[in-house]
Amino acid sequence: MSFREKSAWGMAALLAAAGLYYLWILVAASQAMGATAPAAIAILFTLLVVVGSIAVQVVLAISSPKEASAPADERERLVTFRAGHWSGLLFVTWTVLALGFFLVRGDGNMLFHLILGGLIVSQTAEYALEIMLLRGRA
Amino acid sequence: MSQAQLGEAIGVTRQTVIAIEQGRYSPSLESAFRISRQFGVGLEDVFGWEGD
Repeated sequence: MSFREKSAWGMAALLAAAGLYYLWILVAASQAMGATAPAAIAILFTLLVVVGSIAVQVVLAISSPKEASAPADERERLVTFRAGHWSGLLFVTWTVLALGFFLVRGDGNMLFHLILGGLIVSQTAEYALEIMLLRGRA
Repeated sequence: MSQAQLGEAIGVTRQTVIAIEQGRYSPSLESAFRISRQFGVGLEDVFGWEGD
């Protein structure tokens, strides 16, 4: 398994777990308040993702220092480009749907959570696509 | 020469060399020439194309 694939697995797992945690606290807080929870609940999630990302990359770099410092090769650059393209389209689609939801419901807090959710989903999808392309035909 | 050594010689990862060998990835022209020169043979001695 290449360093890029290991990194993608680590980040995908982190984002998926953090995303599920975010969804859990959002639902719990909204039910407790009887309304959509404010955007401030995302602060803890953001800190978790930042710290977790740094931890994942540090562990990977320590385990494979030479691979970690090597630039992406031509195939990895192509994989990154293709995965980024499709995840970008996913995020744009998700955002447009979220804006439509806001037009109908007018809930600004929900718009924030939907956009953040879109970021999580599209980024997780990008890492998943990278893994698929690295393992299959790039 | 191992896959890792070939990869290092031409500037790609071992996994990319494996993907080239398995036909899952077509290298750039530059990488193809580098591979050929590593073995001291011509491009068409290493790579082939059967066409459609």
